[in-house]
Amino acid sequence: MLRYSLRRLLIGVAMLLALSVLIFAMLRLTPGDPIDAYIDPNIPMSSSDLAELRTTLGLDQPLPMQYVAWLRQALTGNLGYSIKRPDQPVLGLVLSRVGPTVLLMGSAIAIAIVAGIATGIVGAVRRNSIADLSLSVFAVAGISSPPFLSALVGLYFFSVYFNWMPSGGMLTPGQEFSVADLLHHLILPATLLAVAQTALIMRYMRASMLEVLNQDYVRTARAKGVFEFWVITKHALRNALLPVVTLIGSTIGLAIGGAIFIESVFNWPGMGLLMVDAVEGRDYPVIMGSTLVIGACVILVNLLTDLAYAVVDPRIKVG
Amino acid sequence: MKRLQRLSSAIALSAMMATTVVPAFAGPVQAATLSGGFDVGPGGFQGNFNPLAATGGFTWLSVYFEPLLTYDEKLEKVVGQLASSYQVSSDQLAYTFTLADAKWHDGKPFTAKDAKFTIELAKNAKTGSVLAARLNAVSSVEAKDDKTLVIKLSAPSASLMDTLTKVMMLPEHALSQIPADQLAKNTWWSTAPIGTGPFKFSKYVTDQYVELVANTDYRGGKPALEKIINRYFANPAAAIAALRAGEIQFTYVDSNDLKALNDNKDFRVIEGNSFVVNYLGFNHDSPIWKDVRVRQAVMYAINRDAIIQSLYGGAAKPANCAYVADQVVPKDIEAYAYDPEKAKQLLKEAGWDQINGNKPITLLTYYTTPLAANVMAAVQAMLAQVGINVTPRAVDTPTYNSIVLNPTPDVAQFQMVYAGLQNGPDPGSINVGLNEKQIPPAGPNVARVRMPMLTAALDAALGETDAAKRDDRYQEVCKVMNKELPWGPLWVAKRYGVASAKLKDFIWTPAPGGGPYQAHPEKWAIAE
Repeated sequence: MLRYSLRRLLIGVAMLLALSVLIFAMLRLTPGDPIDAYIDPNIPMSSSDLAELRTTLGLDQPLPMQYVAWLRQALTGNLGYSIKRPDQPVLGLVLSRVGPTVLLMGSAIAIAIVAGIATGIVGAVRRNSIADLSLSVFAVAGISSPPFLSALVGLYFFSVYFNWMPSGGMLTPGQEFSVADLLHHLILPATLLAVAQTALIMRYMRASMLEVLNQDYVRTARAKGVFEFWVITKHALRNALLPVVTLIGSTIGLAIGGAIFIESVFNWPGMGLLMVDAVEGRDYPVIMGSTLVIGACVILVNLLTDLAYAVVDPRIKVG
Repeated sequence: MKRLQRLSSAIALSAMMATTVVPAFAGPVQAATLSGGFDVGPGGFQGNFNPLAATGGFTWLSVYFEPLLTYDEKLEKVVGQLASSYQVSSDQLAYTFTLADAKWHDGKPFTAKDAKFTIELAKNAKTGSVLAARLNAVSSVEAKDDKTLVIKLSAPSASLMDTLTKVMMLPEHALSQIPADQLAKNTWWSTAPIGTGPFKFSKYVTDQYVELVANTDYRGGKPALEKIINRYFANPAAAIAALRAGEIQFTYVDSNDLKALNDNKDFRVIEGNSFVVNYLGFNHDSPIWKDVRVRQAVMYAINRDAIIQSLYGGAAKPANCAYVADQVVPKDIEAYAYDPEKAKQLLKEAGWDQINGNKPITLLTYYTTPLAANVMAAVQAMLAQVGINVTPRAVDTPTYNSIVLNPTPDVAQFQMVYAGLQNGPDPGSINVGLNEKQIPPAGPNVARVRMPMLTAALDAALGETDAAKRDDRYQEVCKVMNKELPWGPLWVAKRYGVASAKLKDFIWTPAPGGGPYQAHPEKWAIAE
């Protein structure tokens, strides 16, 4: 187990290195550099000032040189400074955004797991009932609605129209920190982010539960007169959860994509908002830094998923 | 069996219920706190705290920093702010400022030494200052005594006063220890900046908001508000949502979002001049625009009045040169009234079929608002009717800049741009977009205008030191532009802000770059 994990982590480091080369090359292929992003075409600036800025930022160097310079710094843990906000070291900038994003995604994933598994069980146990059918309709709608659309619709109804929820942000400006205030800001974006994942988990859970409920050992349990409740929770659920655990791991990538939209719409101060701003401003160091951190997280989560799989299913041996 | 099914449903339902929390009640809003989206819209510069690096955002920066000079609220003339008065020598080479009695937020007095220190920082490109080139004419800055500052120039400069409104005074005692090239990297700007303005910096909550508190010792009187909060928004639409939800009391608004707010008693719509002229820039490196008759045809083919009425809701003024202000527009210039027949005739005379015919022409823009998309579509349709086939292409600002500012551009990528350029309050602002000396990489003359008459007219206007003659010089610029059409000028649009009806004595105008101007934040108040 330990050797397996170490090997996987080493591969992960190599992948991150490859990722950094790829992102660096892609960034330089996108038209416009940070200085181009800085110039407001309506309010022109002098070219001599701009040239000075380019030299200061090392943007006048050839590309491979720029990459080597960046990598040399990055290996010492120094990811440079944001170009848009030169007073912010990238590492600090990225790390300060991890908390809010983990909170948002964690809440959304928790909502999705609980709601998705519960509704999936209902759908399987009460197959083809009204409840099952309406849940299926919800699932199809949830899977097929893009996060930016559900975010905007949710924002309009819950905060603009009914005024129940704040329209954005993580805390009420100018107020002292309180958990209630944080939850009040968190619930709408987290729920909307959870919609697509809930629907996916539900469909998987339902299918896998149906399959398990038709197995011989379930029939045996029922024949022995075990209460239906215990049949479902004790005998069927654990086996039915196997494919769902894998799915949950693989939907985390989906949640990251969704979080970027949700954070932009709700102005949630996390990685997504940071990245969108950085891409718009061609803030190279910030894009590189945040991509690497997200890449590292995905690699870690995938490893943990595989390990969790081995724990849930004793037949599986890692290594 | 039935019971069990009901049981399992209940479990599922309670699990779902557990994930929806009853909304917590937000605390009461303190009446003396004003929240706004002060950096929303084209004049804002969200996330920038350093005035030396500011190309915009002055509406907010000038709530806690102050310049020596600022504009009046109509943006018509330059008035004193930290300078109580000033004199200009007869040869226009020395400006003597008498400074006001002001204190920094930490209680130390503001002196001429601070002013000298700040102007020298702004002149030094190593600090990341975006004002360095504009202060080129400054040869020396001297602090004669605590209250007297003398700025000496190597040559008269008509734009010095305008530039000085953008130089926010900074405290020497707080910043003199930091090397110039490290200044921008210092965290002072977003953690503990001190200015002389009516409000003091209190805190910045990452990506969320900046909070200022009243400076009770302000020389202009104790502010009416206790706090001002500048909330950050990803776009104007998000700010409007917060405004309608009652979370903020002020924001900039795109003109197409106005309809919903115009007849609402809870809000007051504030209209102002954008001081940005929108134009079609002909890329003069492309042979298709060589003949002036072709450029005239473009002007006659576009029904600007119809676009202004239907798309801008009437909130724009047609421009026939870079200006619409009466004092710099001569009476007898061509109005290019909509006349598609005349446009066809002109194209025929110029031999358009041989020049280009109906080959597609790329019309590049960095305007990505829905309004701009509609404008481009209208222009495309109108030009198609006379036989000019343009294909609009909207890209983000960095992409646009990388294409048009390239010293050796690919003409096929942009034969024409739909763009805007600041044309006031200082009419000299347009020089960089039209003067032959400003063709990239030297400057932002992206249309590659090479018109000796126009360059001469611009140089004469910029070099005119007699204020009484300046308007006539700019009238000459307007006349040449109107006749030669380096651009196809379109209009100058209005811009809007929306404030809660509860705000009292709130002064705002959509100035280019956000100002600065005399907004008097110390007088802003909110009715209970």
